[in-house]
Amino acid sequence: MLKHKKWSLILTTMLTGALLVTGCSTNSDSKDAADGGDKEKKQEWSFAMSGQYKPFNYYDTKTNELTGFDVEIGKAIAEEMGMEPKPVATPWNGIISGLKAGKYDSILGSMAITEKRLKEVDFSDPYYISGAQLFVAPGSDIHTIDDVTKDTKIGVTISTTYEEEARKYTDNIASYDSDNKALRELADGRVDAVITDRLVGILSSKEMDIDIEAAGELLYTEKMGIAFRQEDDDLREKVNAALKDIMESGKYLEISKKYFDRDISKK
Amino acid sequence: MADFLKTLVETFPTFGKAALITVELTAVSLVLGTIIGLVFSLFKLSGSRVLRGIANVYVTIIRGTPLIVQLFAIYYGLVSIVDFGQFWSATIALAIHNGAYIAEIFRGGIQSIHKGQMEAARSLGMTKGLAMRRIILPQAFKRIVPALGNQFIIGLKDSSLAAFITMEELFMWAMRYASSTLEEMKYYTIAGIYYLVLVMIFTYLVHRLERRLAKG
Repeated sequence: MLKHKKWSLILTTMLTGALLVTGCSTNSDSKDAADGGDKEKKQEWSFAMSGQYKPFNYYDTKTNELTGFDVEIGKAIAEEMGMEPKPVATPWNGIISGLKAGKYDSILGSMAITEKRLKEVDFSDPYYISGAQLFVAPGSDIHTIDDVTKDTKIGVTISTTYEEEARKYTDNIASYDSDNKALRELADGRVDAVITDRLVGILSSKEMDIDIEAAGELLYTEKMGIAFRQEDDDLREKVNAALKDIMESGKYLEISKKYFDRDISKK
Repeated sequence: MADFLKTLVETFPTFGKAALITVELTAVSLVLGTIIGLVFSLFKLSGSRVLRGIANVYVTIIRGTPLIVQLFAIYYGLVSIVDFGQFWSATIALAIHNGAYIAEIFRGGIQSIHKGQMEAARSLGMTKGLAMRRIILPQAFKRIVPALGNQFIIGLKDSSLAAFITMEELFMWAMRYASSTLEEMKYYTIAGIYYLVLVMIFTYLVHRLERRLAKG
C-alpha cells in the first residue's frame, strides 16, 4: 500500500510537471500569435549560423538569444526589407546541406566566399572582409607559417576554409566543432597553433581571457557573404539592395563600430 | 552504384586506418570496462555497506548521465587539473561508461547461480574468495556472455562520439568527407558499412566463444 502511494506521488509530480511545461509553451504560443495578429503579418526571413562564433554569432548567456555582428546585420537587413528576421543556429558542419534542403532561407554566419562553395550556393555581395591568421601561445617557436612543419599540431574548426588551409602545411590536424574550443585548446597547450579568422582570434581570446598571439601576416584575406540557394535570385537581389542601403545609411557602420571599433567592410 | 563503389575503394586507406583507431579505442576501453565492471559487481554483492554504497553511487551516476557529457567533462573539463590527451580521455570515458553497465551484467550473472553452490564450496573448506573464483564466476561467465557481447557492440558504436573530442576515427572522417563534398548520404553510408562489418565480425567471435563454453 505504501509502495502504491509512493508511486502515485511520483506519477502525480511528473504529470503536474508535464502539464506546467506544456501550459507554459501554449501560453507563449498564443502570445506569439497575438503579436503577429497585431501588426501586419510580416514575411519571415530565416538565416543560419553556427551560434558558436563569437563575436560574430553566439548565444547571449543572459537572454539565451542569438546575438553578435552577423545577427545584428541580419536584423538590420530584414528591417530594410520589411521582413521578420529569424536567426537559426545549426552545426557548421552540414550548414550548406541544410540550406539546400530548405531548412532556412540563407546562411548569414561569416561564411567565406570560395570557388568550392560557389558550386553549391550563390553569395550576396561581401558584407565584411577579414582573413585567416595563425595563432600561437606566447613563447612559441612558431613565429610565421614557415615555422610550421608536417608534425605541428594545428587546431581548426571542422569543414572551414581554415581546415583546408591547415592541411597544406601539416598532417597533424585536430578538428573541433567551434573556434572557441580550438583557441581554448591552444591556450591549454594541447595544440601548437590555431588557424582562424583574425578578428575572431583576437576578440575571442580577449573575451575568454586566454593568452595567445597572432603569428606572422594574414595567410590570405577572405570576403564573407550571405549564402542563398542557387535558384533564389529574387531574395538574393533583395538582400543585396538592403545591404547596400544599410551601408549607405550608416546603420552598418554603427554595428561594425559596436563590435570592432572600426568599419570591417574595408580591409 | 558504380560511383559509390569507386568511393568505397578510394577512401579505403583513410577509413581503414580510422577503423583501426575505432577498434583500438573500443578494445582497450572494453577490457578496462570489464575489469571495472567485475570489481564493482563484487562491491555490490559484498557484505560491506561502504563498498555497496560506493558501487551504487558509481552505477547511478554513470548510468544516469549521457556518455557525451562524461566525455566532454573528462576531455574539456578536467584539462585544468590533468590532461589525459584525446585517446586516453575517450578510452577512460568509454571504460567508465561501459563499466557501469557491465557491473550490472556481472551482478545479475553471479546472482543467478544458486546459493547452494556457494554453500557447498564453503562446506568443502574453500574461502569465500576462492569459491567465487573457482565455482561461481566460471558458471556466471557462461551465462553472461550474450549480454556482455551485446554491451560490447554498444561500446563499439558509442566510440563514434570520440570524434567530438577530435579523435580521428571512423565518424570523424565521415564528417570531414561529408562536409567537404556535401555528399552526406554517401559518406555516412560508408562509415555505417564499416561499423556494420566490425559488429558482424565481433558477433561471430562472441558466437564462437559461446559454443566453446557450451562444450567445455
